[in-house]
Amino acid sequence: MSTISTALRHFKEPTKEQLTEIFFSLPPLEPTGDASAKESHESSKMDINAVLSLGETEDSYAGKLHIMPPYLAFSSLDKKSVRFTIPLSTIRRVERLNARAGVYALSMSTWHGMKIIVQLTSLRPTADLFCSLLRDALKVELQRGQMKLVKNFVKTCYSEVLVSESSTSADNEREDGSLIPDEKDGTTQEVTYHGGLGLKFKFPGDPKKLREASKIKLWTTYLRTHGRNLTLLRYPQCTRLVQVGLPNRLRGEMWETLSGSIYLRYANPGYYDRLLEEHKGTTSTSTEDIEKDLHRSLPEYAGYQSPEGIDALRRVLRAYTYMNPDLGYCQAMNILAAAILIYMSEEQAFWLLEVLCGRLLPGYYAPSMHGTLLDQRVFESLVQKYLPIIHDHFQAVDVQLSVASLPWFLSLYINSMPMVFAFRIVDCFLCMGPKVLFQVGCVAILKINGEQLLQIQDDGQFLNLMRDYFASLGDSAHPHSSDPRARAITVFQELLLVSFREFSVITEDIILAERRRFRGEIIHSIESFAKRGAIRNLKTLGRFNKEQAGLVYDALYKAMCIIPPPPTVAPPPSLFTTGEGYEEKPETRIGLRTFKQFLSEIATWARDEKIVMNGFQQRIDREVAEHEFIDRLFYFWDVGCHGALSFQDLVSGLDGVMFNDLMENIEWFFNLHDKNKDGYLTKDEVLTLSESFLFIFRYEVGDAYLGAVSRFMTNAFEYGDALLPQNNKSSDATDSRPTSPAPIASNQPYLNLATFRMVVLADEVLESFFETDLSESFKLHPLPEMELPSSNSGILGDLWSTIATDSNKKMFNMFTDEIGKTIGKHQVVNKPSIGRYTKLEEPKARESLLTPTLRKSLSKMSLSSSGRTTSAPLSSSSTLSVNTTLEPPAKSLPNVPDSGSLSAMPMLQAVNAAALMERTPFAIDDAKDDEDDTDDESLDGNNNDDQVMDEVDAFLEAHDSGLTDADKAVANDLLHAEPLK
Amino acid sequence: MADSASGTADKSVQVKLVLLGEAAVGKSSVVLRFVSNEFQPNKEPTIGAAFLTQKCRLEDRILRYEIWDTAGQERFHSLAPMYYRNAQAAVVVYDVTKASSLEKAKSWVKELQRQANPNIVIALAGNKVDLVQSSASSPSAASPPESEDEADDATATPGETAGSPSEPESLRQVPREEAQAYATEAGLLFFETSAKTGEGIVDIFTEIAKKIPIEHILAATRGTSGRPGASGSRVEATRQPGVNLEEDATKGKDACNC
Repeated sequence: MSTISTALRHFKEPTKEQLTEIFFSLPPLEPTGDASAKESHESSKMDINAVLSLGETEDSYAGKLHIMPPYLAFSSLDKKSVRFTIPLSTIRRVERLNARAGVYALSMSTWHGMKIIVQLTSLRPTADLFCSLLRDALKVELQRGQMKLVKNFVKTCYSEVLVSESSTSADNEREDGSLIPDEKDGTTQEVTYHGGLGLKFKFPGDPKKLREASKIKLWTTYLRTHGRNLTLLRYPQCTRLVQVGLPNRLRGEMWETLSGSIYLRYANPGYYDRLLEEHKGTTSTSTEDIEKDLHRSLPEYAGYQSPEGIDALRRVLRAYTYMNPDLGYCQAMNILAAAILIYMSEEQAFWLLEVLCGRLLPGYYAPSMHGTLLDQRVFESLVQKYLPIIHDHFQAVDVQLSVASLPWFLSLYINSMPMVFAFRIVDCFLCMGPKVLFQVGCVAILKINGEQLLQIQDDGQFLNLMRDYFASLGDSAHPHSSDPRARAITVFQELLLVSFREFSVITEDIILAERRRFRGEIIHSIESFAKRGAIRNLKTLGRFNKEQAGLVYDALYKAMCIIPPPPTVAPPPSLFTTGEGYEEKPETRIGLRTFKQFLSEIATWARDEKIVMNGFQQRIDREVAEHEFIDRLFYFWDVGCHGALSFQDLVSGLDGVMFNDLMENIEWFFNLHDKNKDGYLTKDEVLTLSESFLFIFRYEVGDAYLGAVSRFMTNAFEYGDALLPQNNKSSDATDSRPTSPAPIASNQPYLNLATFRMVVLADEVLESFFETDLSESFKLHPLPEMELPSSNSGILGDLWSTIATDSNKKMFNMFTDEIGKTIGKHQVVNKPSIGRYTKLEEPKARESLLTPTLRKSLSKMSLSSSGRTTSAPLSSSSTLSVNTTLEPPAKSLPNVPDSGSLSAMPMLQAVNAAALMERTPFAIDDAKDDEDDTDDESLDGNNNDDQVMDEVDAFLEAHDSGLTDADKAVANDLLHAEPLK
Repeated sequence: MADSASGTADKSVQVKLVLLGEAAVGKSSVVLRFVSNEFQPNKEPTIGAAFLTQKCRLEDRILRYEIWDTAGQERFHSLAPMYYRNAQAAVVVYDVTKASSLEKAKSWVKELQRQANPNIVIALAGNKVDLVQSSASSPSAASPPESEDEADDATATPGETAGSPSEPESLRQVPREEAQAYATEAGLLFFETSAKTGEGIVDIFTEIAKKIPIEHILAATRGTSGRPGASGSRVEATRQPGVNLEEDATKGKDACNC
């Protein structure tokens, strides 16, 4: 019982363009756009060198201006001093400035009158192009009516209230920014701006210590001149203000602005409420998990001791899982959500959670938690790089950093540190990006505690040291200093200083590079862990050992990568009643298509392997075979009737065939074709069974197998008829006499296992097939390591992985094939599935096995038929032996009507080696179809002939390019060649 | 919390113990009860793992448990090996009011027996037994009397436990006999516990203490002169052959089953 996920394989490194979008916190393009819309979207993007100026007080910064409709973004050259992302809809006016010749400058004013001057420093035509794109994009926004929405949207932002008020704090606020309930009606007055639970339940921390009032003052000044919410321009001052801690009241809004989640909220008005409405009352494992944790999220905060807070938390977490059902709910998300809800409204928190889990902490909360594991590995490598002594010590005493650092990352320190400090780290994290977690958190914490860390001997001491340190964050860092100002510096301030001063070398690029470096390793370890778990959780291994089960798993995994199974359908909610306990765990099941892929990895006959030789290389092209036999196997193994197979089904199924001896194999094959499991094959089923034989033997060299199958059919019908009265007393055909077997309808019970066994054993070829070849045609062998997404690091690795893609390999193969064809060395050979007979001799039927009594009941014709088989060995025929095959059966037997066409089969024998090399799959498949048809259509062989000939023609045409003129001439000749007698 | 990990007292033996089990079965509460004899109705979910220590006296020896309390949610599963590596003991917890939690517990046991330290002592604990005891205020009061634990010190208090507000009626879903039979078969220590009332909690840890091959741990610690590498030698100690015949026997039996 387990789920198998190939999700990690789908990871793609972000493109440069995506990285830019991530850098500017842009929401991903809405998925509604069709291909053409996307194309036009691409063409409307552009970036240009520009110099940004703002008023008198700020310096000018050179950087790049990007237009990415519906956003305009700027970043200074150092990528950190100055940046902004502004929705175009907030721009009201763009003017080309009248300036000195050669200077191309634009003045843009926002809806609230802020003027931004950008000087485009690229060449004139480039600047013109940029301006026209900007003009078009603005027009589009105007037409979409976005411009009108701005005013309503900004009313939800507290910053607007802040800049419009004259005093720094409103009358109805407490010192910490929370609202004082109105005396008259006991409730807080209606506010249009969004805010969190803190407004009602107070914000954590001492407002005096946090210096709320002066922070608000500074921010008000900044926001007045530098824009706010949608139009915030981030100058160095902004970052500095964030680093000293955001004021409670503004924190929620600044979080969504800095993280870019505000753009999502802006672009999707009402989405959150609709989502909740649509999924009202739906439950899932995620919602159950959420219920368990609701009362366990920051339980000490007053807001979460009241239904109001709990309900808000429930709605936000649920909405998130509704939107991301694949991700679901992961513990630690409740802590994040609970924390941000103190400062934000539900809708704000919902979008911030989306940005956190999706972009800022990628893969952290995924079912495999690969992002967490990856970043732990990255962290370890950074410690090794920057604090080698500590790293070495930890190695020596066998302490894993992750035991402490994992929760830090997963819950952004919120449940590791006192909340006031954790929130300040969150401030910096949202402003400066994920690198903050590595800088602050870890590396700086470890460095500051370096001395003591070198003393620790085990995990426990490490954790206790960290716990004590976090408890002391509010203390003075230098309690014994004579300088009162030095004494005032807290441990936490020191931590931030160390983080940003000494570890500013840890940049976003380094983190990205390190993630690239370790991704392969992490994916590999997660997958092998999942594999061990899946094997351990098998109810039965059957006769496999663990390694073999592992190989089955590998084949399954590969098949799932190539053809992903349909998403697991969640069982109806009724199954989730908690009362009954044993709820079925979700389990990965594969559909028929994936099964075919899987089987082609294991069974030699379930794939078409063409050995291609073109003078340059010899390679094997492998394709998945299609045949009713494989479908049959799929349903045969689907014991639970799920219409899909689990890993366990596959293991049990393979177990049922791979270890069989002769008799078991015969029985297995019989049962496989006995659809209604009554112990009898019908005539139809006998024919299907023969088709299965022909399918398995389709590429065998020589005609031994064809002969064997033909004899099998003859004998099966002979003995089936002969033995009917004895073996089939209970059947409806009570009056059937040995002399008239005809009345048995094609769908009546006809052939039992004993007869089947006897008929099979009468033939040496079939016997050896069941003795060993069938079991051996299933081969478990180690698969080559699959290419991991970007497992190689460095430029060379990247280069190689771009060159060595599958499609390029295909192109290379096609190219060499073409050359091979022109020099006449192109050759394609189908690899036989069994390959027992490499010579063309045909073993003789074992007449001796037939008992004398049975012999008597054999019809003359069948004897003569088998006689023919033996007497006409090795006649050589032409390449496309279809001609012979398709000859209408001239001598059908009167008393074996159904198998009449079979007498044509022996004529198929003895083809010379060269001819076999090029025998197309049609040679057998069509021959088989032919039998079918004749069976059904009472021997209208000529008609079939023509059809098949058409197909052969079509086949040749389709492969025209594959043949040289000489080849074609030969083929044409062969097509009209008469069979040799 | 007991003492901070400033160092191992000379006479005390360090035992690394890991708690595993489905989410919200009360792992953290069991530890909290054992370590500081407290109960918090709303305990924050464990992220990654929490670490606590507690001393336990056994005859003339003092065992110092280093307890790793792991996160229960399924997706944290892949992190568990980090915590149970080198562990000498494990407590696998399930919730007697939730049948699926025993299934999860079984799969943990299986994983421990195959992946962890080969001589690990495993205890199975059916928690929240206070919810199903006859004195419980549950209106259905259908809990079978034979489910009463033999622990006499347990005065069951009525009421509901944390983490189970969604459970309709406090009804036992895992019969004591069933779990006991499984535990015997798999060679586990077995207890029914209540972190809320304290029933059976200390018993788990004392019984584990009796079963741990202390001599070998001690021998190994004495063998190494310095403390560095102590954890490594602990592993060696427990891997010595013939330490625990009973355990080996059950393991063999288990292997046949699978």
